[in-house]
Amino acid sequence: MFLYVVVVVYYGSIGFCVIASTVRLIKLTSAPLHLRWELYRSSSIYELSDWWNRPQVTFLEKMKSAVLDIIFLRDFYHRNRGFWYFLFLFHLGIYLLILWHVWYLIVPLIVKIRVEPFWDLLWGHVATAFAFLGGLGIFVRRMTDEDLRVYYPPAHYVKWAFMLLTVLGGFYAAHFDFGAFIPTLEDAKFQVYPPNSISIHLLFSSVWLIYLPYSHILRLFFRYYHQIRWDDVPNVRGSAVERKVEKLLNQRVGWSAPHVPHGRKWADFPSEREQEPEG
Amino acid sequence: MKGKKIRIGDIGKNRNEQLLTITGEDVMPLPRALDKGDCQQPIKPLTEEQRDDYECSLDGVSAVAIPKPKSKEEEERLVERFLNGLRKLLSKHDNWTFWQQLLLSLESCVRCQACSEACPIYLSSGKQEIYRPTYRAEVLRRIIKKYMRKGGRFIAKLAGEDIELNWETIARLAELAYRCTVCRRCAQWCPLGSDNGLITHEIRKLFSQEMGIAPKEIHELGTVQQLNTGSSTGITPPALENIISFMEEEIEEKTGKKITIPFDREGADILLLHNAGEFISWPESVEAFAILFEAANISWTLSSELVGYDAVNYGVWYDDVQLARIAIRHAQVAKELKVKKISVGECGHAHKALVVIADRVLTGDLNIPRESALPLLEDLVCNEKVKFDPGRNDFPVTLHDPCNMVRLMGIVEPQRRILRKLCPQFREMEPHGVDNYCCGGGSGFAIMSSMNFQDWKETISGRMKLKQILEAFQDVIDPSIHKYVCAPCSNCKGQIRDLLNSRGAWEKHRIFYGGLVELVVNAMADLGKPFIEWEWR
Repeated sequence: MFLYVVVVVYYGSIGFCVIASTVRLIKLTSAPLHLRWELYRSSSIYELSDWWNRPQVTFLEKMKSAVLDIIFLRDFYHRNRGFWYFLFLFHLGIYLLILWHVWYLIVPLIVKIRVEPFWDLLWGHVATAFAFLGGLGIFVRRMTDEDLRVYYPPAHYVKWAFMLLTVLGGFYAAHFDFGAFIPTLEDAKFQVYPPNSISIHLLFSSVWLIYLPYSHILRLFFRYYHQIRWDDVPNVRGSAVERKVEKLLNQRVGWSAPHVPHGRKWADFPSEREQEPEG
Repeated sequence: MKGKKIRIGDIGKNRNEQLLTITGEDVMPLPRALDKGDCQQPIKPLTEEQRDDYECSLDGVSAVAIPKPKSKEEEERLVERFLNGLRKLLSKHDNWTFWQQLLLSLESCVRCQACSEACPIYLSSGKQEIYRPTYRAEVLRRIIKKYMRKGGRFIAKLAGEDIELNWETIARLAELAYRCTVCRRCAQWCPLGSDNGLITHEIRKLFSQEMGIAPKEIHELGTVQQLNTGSSTGITPPALENIISFMEEEIEEKTGKKITIPFDREGADILLLHNAGEFISWPESVEAFAILFEAANISWTLSSELVGYDAVNYGVWYDDVQLARIAIRHAQVAKELKVKKISVGECGHAHKALVVIADRVLTGDLNIPRESALPLLEDLVCNEKVKFDPGRNDFPVTLHDPCNMVRLMGIVEPQRRILRKLCPQFREMEPHGVDNYCCGGGSGFAIMSSMNFQDWKETISGRMKLKQILEAFQDVIDPSIHKYVCAPCSNCKGQIRDLLNSRGAWEKHRIFYGGLVELVVNAMADLGKPFIEWEWR
C-alpha cells in the first residue's frame, strides 16, 4: 500500500511540477508589454549617436550573461561574498546531484555505459556533501546574521531544515541501501521493491517538485528574458513591438484620481493640451 | 519609539507617536573638512500648526503634505480608495505599464538584504530601519498578502506577518515612498532582480493615479503646470523669448560672438530639449550649447511651443498618465518642426523618460529618433571638430554620474572621454559609473522643499554624495584652489548646489559646481576669456 502511495505521490508531483510551471510560464510570458525600465552594468548603445541604426545586443550575448550569472551566482559573489560561499556550495551540490540522477537513472536507458560503482557513489556523496554543507551554512547564517534574519519568513527556516533532511535522506538511501550497486530505472527489482529509505526520499523529493514552480528559479529566468533588465530592443515603426504598443494604448484608463481621464483611451488623452481642473 | 527596533507591523500602530526621530548622533559621519558635527536636531521639527494639519508620524518630516482626515468616516473612505488603487496596481489591464516588473519584484525578494548595503539613504541615516529599501516593499507585500489574497488574513496571522491597514499605515506609506530617490542602486545590487525602486514608484503611482496624492512640487506645480503653461518653471512662450534675447546679449558680452539662438527652425537636424530650469538657474548651460553648436556648424533648433522648450517629465517619478501626456507632447512638437531627431540636453530623468521609457508610448510618426546630447558633445571634442586648449581647464574636476544617464541608460564613457581630454586634473569619485551614488535629489527631491523636507534631503539623502565630493578633493581641499564638481544634469546640479551651500563648501573650500558643456566651452581655444566665471549661484 505504502508503495502505491509513493508511486502516486511521486509521479503526481512530477505532473504537478510540469503543469504548474507551464501555467506560471504562460502567466509571465503573456504579461502585457510594459514600459521600459531596464538597468545597465556598463556602457550601452545609448553612448552612440544615431543608436537606432547600430547593431543591438544579440540573444546569444544576453544568454551568455544569464547563464554565467545563474551558474556562478555572480551578483551574490560581488555584492555579498560571505553569503555567496555557502550559496554557491549549495547550488553546486544540487546541480551535481541533478546530473548524478540523470547519469545513473536516465543515461543507461539510452546508452549502455556504466562506470565502476565506486565512482558513481563518490560523485553522489561529494555532491551531497556540497549541498548539505552549503545548505547548513545558509541555514545557520540565516539564523545568526542580523541582516539576513530581517523579514525572512519563519516558514523558510522550516524549508531549509527540510532541505537538509532531504539531502541526508538521499545520502542514507544511496550509501546504506544501495551500497556498491546503484540501480538504474531498468532494474526490475528497484522498480517493484524500492527500500523504505528510497520511498521516503521520493516522498521528500515530491514536496520539492511541488514547490519548484513557486521557487525563485523561474523568476530568475525572467529577470533576463522578458524585457526586464537588458532590453535594448527599440520600438521600430511597423515592428511587432509597435503593434503591441498600439493595442495597449487603445485600452481604457481605469484609474480614478481627478487629473486622470477615467474611461478614455490612453491613445486619446495625451494629445489634450489642457488638463482637467483639479477636483 | 527611538531606540527600539522598528518592525513592519509598527507602521500601523501608535498613531500619535512618531516612528523615528533622527538625531545628529545617528547620521553617518562626514570627512573632517566639512563635518561641522550635526546638531542634535539636524532636521528642524515641524511647527505645532503643521503637525496639526499634516501627516508626519513617520519620521516627523512632511514631503507630501498630506492633510489629516477630519473624521473617522473620511479615514475609512481613504482606506477604501487605497484598496481600490491596490487592486488596480495588481491588475494586468489597469497597470499594463509596469505590471510585470511589479509582480516579479514582489515575488523575487529572498531577503538577503544586499540592497540595504547599496542604499545611500539607509547608510547615511545610520541604518534606520524604516529607510531600509526592503522595509517599504515588505509593508506593501504584507498588505497585498493579507488584503488581496484569499484567506490572507488567516495566513498572515499564521505566518507571523500580520499588518494592520488603517489610515496611519497608508499615510506613513505615502510619506515613505518619498524617502527613496528611485536611484535603483538597490535593484542593481539585487541578485534576483527584485527592484525596490520600482516598488517605490508603484506606491507613488497608486497614491497619485487613484487618490490624487502627490507632492505639490511635482504634480500641481510640475506636470500640470508644464502641460498648461508650457513649463514646470512657469516660463511661458513669451517669457522664454525674453530670456533667450537676454542670453544672446550675455553670450556677446562674454565671448564677443554674435549668436542668434535658433527657434522653431523647421527641418533642422536636431531639436535640442533643455530642462527649463537651466533657463532660470543655469543659463550658462544653454549659452554654452549655443556657442558650441554654432562653432561646429550644427543644424539645430529650440522650440517655443508649449512643453516643447522644457525637457522635464516629472511623470516618470510618480504617474504614468502624466508621463505619457508629456512624452507625447514632446514628440508632437518635434513632428511639427519636422526635425530629424530630438537631442536631450543635460537632464538625467528627461534622458530616461524620453529616450527609453517613451519608446513604449510613441508610435507611427510620433516615434521620432531620440538620443542623448552627450555622444554629440563627445564627437565634437574627441574628433576635434572645434579647437580646444585643455590648459584652460587646469583645475581639479570631479564627475557626478546622474543615475538616469548612467545606471539606468548605460551612458558611462562619453562624459569621461571628454573630461579626460579637456581637464588635466580630472579625478573620479568612488564609487562611480554604474555603481555611483545618487546626488540625493533624484525622483523629484531636488525640487521638493516644503516644510522641513529641505533639511531631510540635505542631512540624509544627499549625505553620501557630499562625502564623495569631499573625498575626491581631499588632496586639494585648500581654498586657494578652485575645484569643480561636474554634474551633467539639471536636477543633480540643484541638489549639489544645496548640499555645498548648506555646508559653506564654496566659502570654505572653493568647491564649485556646474555642467559638462560649460567645461567644454571653457576650453574652446578661440574664446578671449574663460567661460566659467566662478561666481556662486
